[in-house]
Amino acid sequence: MKSKANKTDIKVPDKKGYFGEFGGKFIPETISSCLNELESAYAKAKQSKKFKKELDSYLREYAGRPTPLYFAKKLSKYFKLKVYLKREDLLHTGAHKINNSLGQAFLAKFMGKERIIAETGAGQHGVAVATIASLLDFKCDIYMGQEDIERQSMNVFRMKVLGARVIAVRSGSKTLKDACNEAFRDWVTNVRNTYYLLGSVVGPHPYPMIVRDFQLVIGREARLQILKKEGKLPDCLVACVGGGSNAIGLFYPFFKDKKVKFIGVEAAGFGLNSYNSASLTKGELGVFQGSKSYVLQDKFGQIKNAHSIAPGLDYPGVGPEHAFYKSIKRAEYVTVNDSQAIEGFKLLSELEGIIPALESSHAIYYLQKIAKDNKGCTALVCLSGRGDKDLDIIREYTEKSNTKNKISK
Amino acid sequence: MRLDEKFKQLREEKRKAFIGYVPFGFPNPELTKDIVFSLQEAGVDIVELGIPFSDPLADGPIIQKATTLALEKGATIEGLFREFEQLKNSLKIPIVIMTYYNPVFKFGLSNFFKTMHNLGMTAITIVDLPLEESADYIKKARKFDLDTIFFITPTTSCIRMKKIATQSKGFIYYISVTGITGPKSLQYASLQSNIRAIKRVTKIPVCVGFGIHRREQIDKINKFSDGVIVGSGIVKFIDEHYRDIDFLSKLKKYTRLLTA
Repeated sequence: MKSKANKTDIKVPDKKGYFGEFGGKFIPETISSCLNELESAYAKAKQSKKFKKELDSYLREYAGRPTPLYFAKKLSKYFKLKVYLKREDLLHTGAHKINNSLGQAFLAKFMGKERIIAETGAGQHGVAVATIASLLDFKCDIYMGQEDIERQSMNVFRMKVLGARVIAVRSGSKTLKDACNEAFRDWVTNVRNTYYLLGSVVGPHPYPMIVRDFQLVIGREARLQILKKEGKLPDCLVACVGGGSNAIGLFYPFFKDKKVKFIGVEAAGFGLNSYNSASLTKGELGVFQGSKSYVLQDKFGQIKNAHSIAPGLDYPGVGPEHAFYKSIKRAEYVTVNDSQAIEGFKLLSELEGIIPALESSHAIYYLQKIAKDNKGCTALVCLSGRGDKDLDIIREYTEKSNTKNKISK
Repeated sequence: MRLDEKFKQLREEKRKAFIGYVPFGFPNPELTKDIVFSLQEAGVDIVELGIPFSDPLADGPIIQKATTLALEKGATIEGLFREFEQLKNSLKIPIVIMTYYNPVFKFGLSNFFKTMHNLGMTAITIVDLPLEESADYIKKARKFDLDTIFFITPTTSCIRMKKIATQSKGFIYYISVTGITGPKSLQYASLQSNIRAIKRVTKIPVCVGFGIHRREQIDKINKFSDGVIVGSGIVKFIDEHYRDIDFLSKLKKYTRLLTA
């Protein structure tokens, strides 16, 4: 009985891939059969002890799980909160993305595919995929927007070193969404031998479910760790949301712990009335890249270009499970803009000696707002990645604002 | 004219359907009307009119470029309906609306179908709306007496093929190869056996699209299909010639070479 009561799984998505009214499979017919193939292969792999054992061993020995739950003493003192950081930034390749890449690459192997393709925004997912592809001997092509290639050149070079081919995408806004379109086009063309390793909890069913399942290790570990350290559950969970994979990974295992508040932090970019990536806050219901969810779109149903200083959040859509959590009020979604994210970035670097990814910096900054209304509460933050990849962006941003200040003086 | 009347006429004349695709608003919203008329005059049997979408994930570079330009020129669903209001009495061939789901979803399905119905447009096909997601769409389309065209591809299983056939009206759009729109070389033997497999389960006409851009491909495919759909070929021609003074007569001449 007791173990049943502790069971945290909720039954979403349903058989058709819906989380409430969100999700589904809105894809060209050519892909239908591969999604069905993927779905049944995944169901089989989940049952396979060998699959699970192999994956667990790589997560532990290769990727570096479990990651620590670190009590950030100075940050806590600064905010007058109890702040715990789930250190996904310490994983191999520097972000939570490796959890999903390992899981899906083993699935691709299980399915007998020879080639892996992926989209990438910041390059973190691309690097994680290129890494596993080299480990498991897959041919690997990564689609990346031209604009992202320019602003994340180090990650591009990393992927090349790992033996992947990086294909520049010059259509549309030249960022993550267009890389995603191009990866779909490749997949439609090469369905038979190619596995599309989607990097977030977006896209058609079963991707939002598969990616969540491979990421929920974050929340499972964190739940055990916080119980061990604090003897109780935290008051709130905080994570950044682009597509939303690190956030769902953290939230999902706490779903039935009703007293634990979920806070998803979206990127307000230049501001909520300008270019941003806040799909849950500013988007409307729509169908984009395979699923029904909130989308940044104009009144004609054309998808808008997103913006965030964090390339990994720079996406006009969001995972259907987040849309569901919002609709049933299980999670609250808030926003942090570019300059605030930079503040969060600096704060964690200076106080704790941890350089966070710009994506995770959004979550760090939001602690300030939590502190205002909830003094002394325990906040568990997913530090989804490390910030080495963002140093160029930070340098450029700082130089720009310095020049601005000089001029205004 | 409805699609079933068109195919009946074609059968009587012992001809195969030539279906031409053009995106609305390319190279600008005002010219679409003239382009559609020119296609009709050049012997096109059915026009597939695309509604441009910002993220056309099943389209190759030629159609991507065209629809991006159309959106820049302000192509909208309202604009399309406005232009075709003036056209409905003089247009003799069936128009099939082809698009991605989000613009239609945003416009409102019933509202969209009602307007189509009032303008005498009788058929629609949506690239990213597979059978599983179509229950509500089909129900509403039937209410306004619209034909729903679905896709069958080389990766569609036999069981699925039957399901798709039962929900299809007008014709079935067979996608020649796994891939996106744009010129390709085709495998006729497998194409033929796949079309035969579909014809064993349904009486609805089967037309073949994707990759078809040359006369000899059309002739070969028409030996076993009920018609062909040419998209990127026409769009590319328009792209290369729309600035010419005699553009429309050139377009007619080019199209006649494919339809005659």
